[in-house]
Amino acid sequence: MDLNSNRKTKLAARTGLDRIADILQIERESLTAFMFLVPLFVFLAVLIFIPVLGTFWDSLTRDVAFLPKKFIGTANYRALIADAAFWQSVRFTLLFVFVSVPLEVLMGLAIALVLNETFPGRGFLRAAVLIPWAIPAAVSGRVFELIYHYSYGAANYLVRILDLSEGPVNWLGTDLGSFAGVVLADAWKTTPFAALILLAGLSSINPDLYKQAQIDRANFLQRFLYVTIPLLKPVLVVTLLFRTVMALRVFDVIYVLTGGGPGGATTPLSLFAYRYFSSADFGYGAAASVLLFVCALLLSVLYVKAGRFQESLQ
Amino acid sequence: MMNLIPFPCGIRIRLIRWSVGPWPLARPLTHFRKPANGHTGQPTNLHAVLKAACICLALVSLAACSEPPAREVVFAVGGAPAELDFWETLADDFEKESGIPLRILRRPADTDQQRQSLVISLKAQMSDPDVFLMDIAWIGLFSAAEWLMPLEDIDTAPFFKTVIEKVDRPAGQLLALPVYMDAGILYYRKDLLDAYGGESAPRTWSALAETARRIQPAERKTNGDFYGFVWTGAQYEGLVTAFMEFAGTRGGFVVEDGQIRLNVPANVRAMRFMRDLIRKFKITPPNAYTGMKEEDVRMYFQRGDALYERNWPYAWPLHQSRDSAVRDKTGVSPIPAPEAGQSASTLGGFHIGVSRFTDVKAEALQFVKFVTSYNNQKRMVMQLGWNPGRQDLYDDPDILKQAPHFKALGEVFRSARPRPLVPYYTQISAIAQQHINSVLAGNAAPQEALAAADREIRAVLSRYAIENGSK
Repeated sequence: MDLNSNRKTKLAARTGLDRIADILQIERESLTAFMFLVPLFVFLAVLIFIPVLGTFWDSLTRDVAFLPKKFIGTANYRALIADAAFWQSVRFTLLFVFVSVPLEVLMGLAIALVLNETFPGRGFLRAAVLIPWAIPAAVSGRVFELIYHYSYGAANYLVRILDLSEGPVNWLGTDLGSFAGVVLADAWKTTPFAALILLAGLSSINPDLYKQAQIDRANFLQRFLYVTIPLLKPVLVVTLLFRTVMALRVFDVIYVLTGGGPGGATTPLSLFAYRYFSSADFGYGAAASVLLFVCALLLSVLYVKAGRFQESLQ
Repeated sequence: MMNLIPFPCGIRIRLIRWSVGPWPLARPLTHFRKPANGHTGQPTNLHAVLKAACICLALVSLAACSEPPAREVVFAVGGAPAELDFWETLADDFEKESGIPLRILRRPADTDQQRQSLVISLKAQMSDPDVFLMDIAWIGLFSAAEWLMPLEDIDTAPFFKTVIEKVDRPAGQLLALPVYMDAGILYYRKDLLDAYGGESAPRTWSALAETARRIQPAERKTNGDFYGFVWTGAQYEGLVTAFMEFAGTRGGFVVEDGQIRLNVPANVRAMRFMRDLIRKFKITPPNAYTGMKEEDVRMYFQRGDALYERNWPYAWPLHQSRDSAVRDKTGVSPIPAPEAGQSASTLGGFHIGVSRFTDVKAEALQFVKFVTSYNNQKRMVMQLGWNPGRQDLYDDPDILKQAPHFKALGEVFRSARPRPLVPYYTQISAIAQQHINSVLAGNAAPQEALAAADREIRAVLSRYAIENGSK
């Protein structure tokens, strides 16, 4: 009797959701889980998937403000491949990634290792290290512009009082100088980010492991190589991934600091695409953006594969 | 009337319950909520206050939900704080005079960012801004994109005829009006030229280089930062305008067989000269190609650290300001001429236009007329020292009293050379900027750089004319 009534209410409570679960041939619980994810999917779709698809579609058209819009297939891409300025921009962007990311992650690791030790004033230092990351990129770009400034920059002031060169140095005037200048400015700004993530990774390593290693008479280097690095690897990969993708689409620091000069030597792909957007040549800019997106995606996949991410997560 | 319903409904109902009188919305509700004490007596002070509160609340919610007044004119303008202040006062006067509300949409001082913000709202066919200022270099794009509403019923006689014909009336219809004019001019230190041999301002680029190379070492003895000649060499539009002036009438963007070309002898010579100013003669600061835009150039000269300066006329009142080191020591002269061909000052300036997507056509036109009227243009001259787009102001006695150099400037504007009025000017200018700048940086030889620029320009054009040359 009791059981029967229970069954009845259960049958009566079969809702539309149950039927949807039946149609999709999944458990009712899984459906509930999916339902919880729906807001996130909607969010991602509106903010990411739709714009990406829209940009991709735009890249297949001749979308120039003063000409009728027209589908042209891959013509924008073919023109990009023949565009010397595009390749100059690609070379700069990749070089920037390959120099700045290892630099930032290595420095970030060093800072994280120091901040992970116990010493007086550690809390203050941990907070202080984050300051550059908290400063807007455009502002830090402007700060470095003032440091490198030819007439009244801090760098040339040091050159003068230390008597290092005959006259002031035009720091951003050569290819090498401007490249080093933007890498340095970017490293100053984003090293704290790497340090923060790595510090989180370090503090999750069980201290007993170090004690055990010490008992086994492992020296500092051995402890670092055989305890820290393997356990930090998943976090390290995430840091590298984040930094690589962010460095690939670097814009603000360079836009403020060099504006892409001298002679287009420091034009990242995002600035290259932006120039076309701001001059009403949307299709071409979109094609450049899509290639940048593909680059970022490929590198991310590469990292995830190389980091054997799924294994380390399990 | 749906607007009456929203927000703290409970409060309103309670208020309405106490209100009496023949008030349309109050009635039905009072039916349901008759006060328990049956109080229906004469309206007391409290009643009056509460009733007024009700009306206020209703009006506030009405105002909060209704559209802003439809006839509002939105004017997009960017610039330095002093410039925006001028536009604000002008806007106030316009509102007072015409009764049309006007809102100023503040834009950045940077011209590239101003263009970007306009391109985005026009491309999206937004009804605001209705009126905006455009750099002369964008008009080709804006008119070809059909973003500008033809200006009807405007007397163009008082404006510079060549400018109106070449720039504002590209295809028979008037699309814009010059608000202020710019043309490159040469500033020089009168006192120094007098002190070192009493020469007049140079008429040719080689004469300029010669005097600068002579005077610079002598001045260096007392001023270590002194340089002969400062000009806008950073990678931006200002570099192209200066380049066109170094090249003279035979150079710049030369059109041959319907094709824009940069690799011509006059341009190669100009590039060599520009590079030599920095690298061989060393009379231009080494950071000219990395950090020198017009404001940097202006401040350098104004500190008293340069003999010559290539800049726009806006620098004049600033050089003459009280805290300037070159006050009353500065002279103005036309741009020098190259070896072959004639001197060519590049035409700049901002023009006013009305968006084709405007929702207040008549009001916008009225504002355009207001801004370009004799009196308001005169105010602009007196307040900002800018050069008006109206020719008739260059003979105004008040103006000539304040700025005697205006007489000569009128001549410069009449002969100044515009940049190509093609819709893809921004793109070809970006190509030119990059290659000229890389020559100045010592990364490329002049002729190779110009040849590369020509190749890239051809590539852009072939991309646009993707189906057999048709647009």
